[in-house]
Amino acid sequence: MSNRVEGSGIWRKIGFGASVFALVSPAILVFLWMISLSLKNELDNTAFPPVFIPNPPTLANYVDVFEKNNFLLYFWNSILVTGGAVFIGLLVGVPAGYGIARSKAYKTAIMILIARMTPALSYLIPLFLVFQILGLIGSIWALLITHLVITVPIIVWVMIGYFEGIPQELEDAAYVDGATLWQSFRYIAMPLARPGMMVGAILAFIFSWNNFVFSVVLGGKNSRTLPSAVYNSLTFEQISWGPLAAAALLVTLPVIVLTVAAQREIVAGLSAGGLKD
Amino acid sequence: MTTLDLVEPVRASTPVEQKLAPRRYFLFALPALVLIAGVIILPWLFTLVMSVMEFKVGGAVEFIGFQNFIKLATDARFIESIGRTFWFTALAVFFPILLGTWAAVIFHREFPWRGVLRTVFIMPMMATPVAVALVWTMMFHPQLGVLNYLLSLIGLPPFAWVYDPNTVIFTLMLVEVWHWTPLVMLIVLGGMAALPTDPYDSATIDGATNWQMFRFITLPLILPYIMVAVVIRTIDALKVFDTIFVITQGGPGTASETLNIFLYLQAFQFFNLGYASAVVVVFFVIIVALSLLLLSLRQKLKWNT
Amino acid sequence: MSDFAKRSDFASRPSRRLFVGGAAAGVAAPFVLRSEALGQSAFNWKKFAGTKIDAMLVKNPRSDLLQAHEKEFTALTGIEVSSEQIPEQQQRQKAMIEFTSGKPTFDVCMVALHVQKRLAAKGKWLDDLRPYLADASLTSPDFDFADFAAGAVGFGRQADGTLDTLPHFIDFWMIYYNKEMFEQKGVTYPKTMDELIVAAGKLNDPAKGVAGFVSRGLKNANIPVWTSWMLGQGMETVSATGQLQTDTPEAIWAGEMYKRMNREFAPPGTVGFNWNECQTTFMQGRAAMWLDGIGFATPLEDPTKSRIVGKVGYGVTPPGPKGHHSALFGDGMGISRTSTKKQAAWLYLQFMCNKGNQLAMLKAGAGSPGRSSALANPAAQEGSRFNKEYFECLAASGKIARAGLPQIIPVTEFRDVFGVGLTNTLSGADVATELKKATEAFKPVLEKSEQG
Repeated sequence: MSNRVEGSGIWRKIGFGASVFALVSPAILVFLWMISLSLKNELDNTAFPPVFIPNPPTLANYVDVFEKNNFLLYFWNSILVTGGAVFIGLLVGVPAGYGIARSKAYKTAIMILIARMTPALSYLIPLFLVFQILGLIGSIWALLITHLVITVPIIVWVMIGYFEGIPQELEDAAYVDGATLWQSFRYIAMPLARPGMMVGAILAFIFSWNNFVFSVVLGGKNSRTLPSAVYNSLTFEQISWGPLAAAALLVTLPVIVLTVAAQREIVAGLSAGGLKD
Repeated sequence: MTTLDLVEPVRASTPVEQKLAPRRYFLFALPALVLIAGVIILPWLFTLVMSVMEFKVGGAVEFIGFQNFIKLATDARFIESIGRTFWFTALAVFFPILLGTWAAVIFHREFPWRGVLRTVFIMPMMATPVAVALVWTMMFHPQLGVLNYLLSLIGLPPFAWVYDPNTVIFTLMLVEVWHWTPLVMLIVLGGMAALPTDPYDSATIDGATNWQMFRFITLPLILPYIMVAVVIRTIDALKVFDTIFVITQGGPGTASETLNIFLYLQAFQFFNLGYASAVVVVFFVIIVALSLLLLSLRQKLKWNT
Repeated sequence: MSDFAKRSDFASRPSRRLFVGGAAAGVAAPFVLRSEALGQSAFNWKKFAGTKIDAMLVKNPRSDLLQAHEKEFTALTGIEVSSEQIPEQQQRQKAMIEFTSGKPTFDVCMVALHVQKRLAAKGKWLDDLRPYLADASLTSPDFDFADFAAGAVGFGRQADGTLDTLPHFIDFWMIYYNKEMFEQKGVTYPKTMDELIVAAGKLNDPAKGVAGFVSRGLKNANIPVWTSWMLGQGMETVSATGQLQTDTPEAIWAGEMYKRMNREFAPPGTVGFNWNECQTTFMQGRAAMWLDGIGFATPLEDPTKSRIVGKVGYGVTPPGPKGHHSALFGDGMGISRTSTKKQAAWLYLQFMCNKGNQLAMLKAGAGSPGRSSALANPAAQEGSRFNKEYFECLAASGKIARAGLPQIIPVTEFRDVFGVGLTNTLSGADVATELKKATEAFKPVLEKSEQG
């Protein structure tokens, strides 16, 4: 099959170009509008007809975000919570993926998948009560533990897929040479599954980073993560679009950059069954 | 890691013996399973127990049997929210599948800037839903929103977007389409990469049109992938929370109050934790039924390998 | 202390008809300051120097002011303050979660009296402030608690006489109107609710993108609009004996009024409008009238945000067929019962609600303070961006204020259930049917909540 744009005539090419434009423009326009809002003052943002090109562009909204909110703290909280949950997820999830794949424990795999599909919100009620009893509400720990609900199943799930794809023969050869189970996992299977670990880690990072409702309910003044902090920065006086757009952009920037940089891995991971939470 | 170190060295056993003892491998999964038991299984059981309790935060806990479920069955708002959830899900599956497949066909071809444009196209997929939802809220504003201005440019009257009970579900679906069409595209594109070339060659010789080739050759071959995308989309759409919560909070009135929003309202606005737990149980049953469907598909298509 | 005792007795009368005459009465007859009576000994503010307290505030202009005063407070007392403003809805949720956890992360909490008062009493959230007030070693002689309007104090006081908050802010519902538009159309400010409808009709000009009237349509947020109209029938949503009056002819009349105003004269999309969308619409010169709390006035006279600076009129809610009232709301500040820094927190409350800071709040247009002296002070008007009419409206509204929400525990459910019903009427549903349905749905919730 030829992958070139086929057919004769200029009309076909125009039609094809229009299709590409129609598909790509919504994606780009929303982000451009977000940037535009974040660089304009309040009167321009609520002007009608709208002002498209900031003139002159102002960074006041960004200054506002950092001045009026403890943005760096929330950023750090997000790093701690997401980073911690991904780290623990990898620590337990990679061996688990191996164990489940090699022992062909399909029932366990099904359980993991169901865990992956259950709405995040449904874990919130019991965990909320438990943290309340433990007095952990408002702490980073409560959030980190809750985010494990997101990261562990996805990493395990992706890893099962990867380890299933690694032929058993290599390990069998190692056993003949006297290797232990642990050694064959550590020195043979795991290095081969490194791309899978990347995929699992990236997806877990993104879904954990984007999670919003856990922090809304469990987060406190000093433990709140970025998405809920942005939601809280809706201001009292009118609809404050500029700072809101600036904050929104700052929150989503890390994951957008990650998406673009690790596109290949994400695609691989998604086709390995990595559903969003 | 200490648990892992406990894995015993294998004594002089043959590879065949290894295969006969898959249970040994299970030790690798132990730390994760302990963790999952703690943060996932335990909450499930806890929810089940809570669902037969009358429990309002700050009030007494009391066993009331199936009364929460009986109340749910007669709660018009709950019943309506289920119907609404399914309707929203149907829309939020159909359109991304349609557009995503079209996008996959387009991006499967070679054209200048393809790599860059594809990257741009998948950007929405991973964008933080809350952040994007806030921007959509601004764009939907009936008087000052940029979307109504764009409509006026092409001579259309202003549209009420999320500010009208009749159009709110449709509008929220648009946001969902924007967010998740790229995912469908990626899955289908993955399927197209593995297409054989022979049928196309002979079809070209037979003088088939592009549409005929797509309809009779490509589509049947990528159908398994589309089915996977359908199932993934279905489960995701059922669970949508952030977007609806931020943009409408279930409004106007209850016009966009889906199961998840209803659940949140009961649990963390009214703090009726017992009643909310019963909602979770029902929701869970729906999700599991669909999960089993996904699993049977996965077995059939082996899309994991 | 006899004076204090007498006043508290007056304020705690088990009256559900919560008039607040006090705030306005202060204008006419300011209370005699009696700081001398408590002695001249210098008060020691530094007693708790080095303590660090946490405060959870609601996002609003009052909290902006409180935060601006923090430096001064730290300089005076040596107490450090770490405060946070959270949007109303999340703050109410957070308060509930944190207080019921038994270990709230804050020492001071802002409480919406019209929503959380009885929840706070039931959940034993806050410490009784009376012992602090009575303790001369903790309360500065110039604090002058008697200066707080009796009505405001009464609004904050629990049924058993406990005073667990300082009522620092009271809000009256009134009508902001665009004088320029009124002049252009030759309309005068309406004297009755019937005239209001007529005026809104004349001012409504959809072709120009100008709405005759804007008010909240969003479920939950829309309840005060409905109760404002219902007060025009001289009736509240829950009777003094705790009976729902939400499907009475008066309630239906108010519902019809709500439906008509929001359907015929409102901008498109009001069904999703909370105060901030209404405010933006009005401030952009796209509505002739806006019914809401006077505490939302702050940005209207700010040229960097508003397009109608100097054109804003402040009108008292016009009388209805059977009554003339302004719907009343209020915020208090309290101390967590489990706090370990209660005394330091009390100094914070005292300082933030002192005369100077309450006056500053009034000047900034951030709303009506709980203290009478602020309103009585001519300096308030002189240094303010706001005109005489604003202050007159405040005073007049104060005289006719009456609770805008029922004094029940499940206020959030009330607002949700009836809010949805009202919102449905905007898409054409029948008012009487919707209110009846909502009343039936809410009745068991209310009954259950009163069983304890």
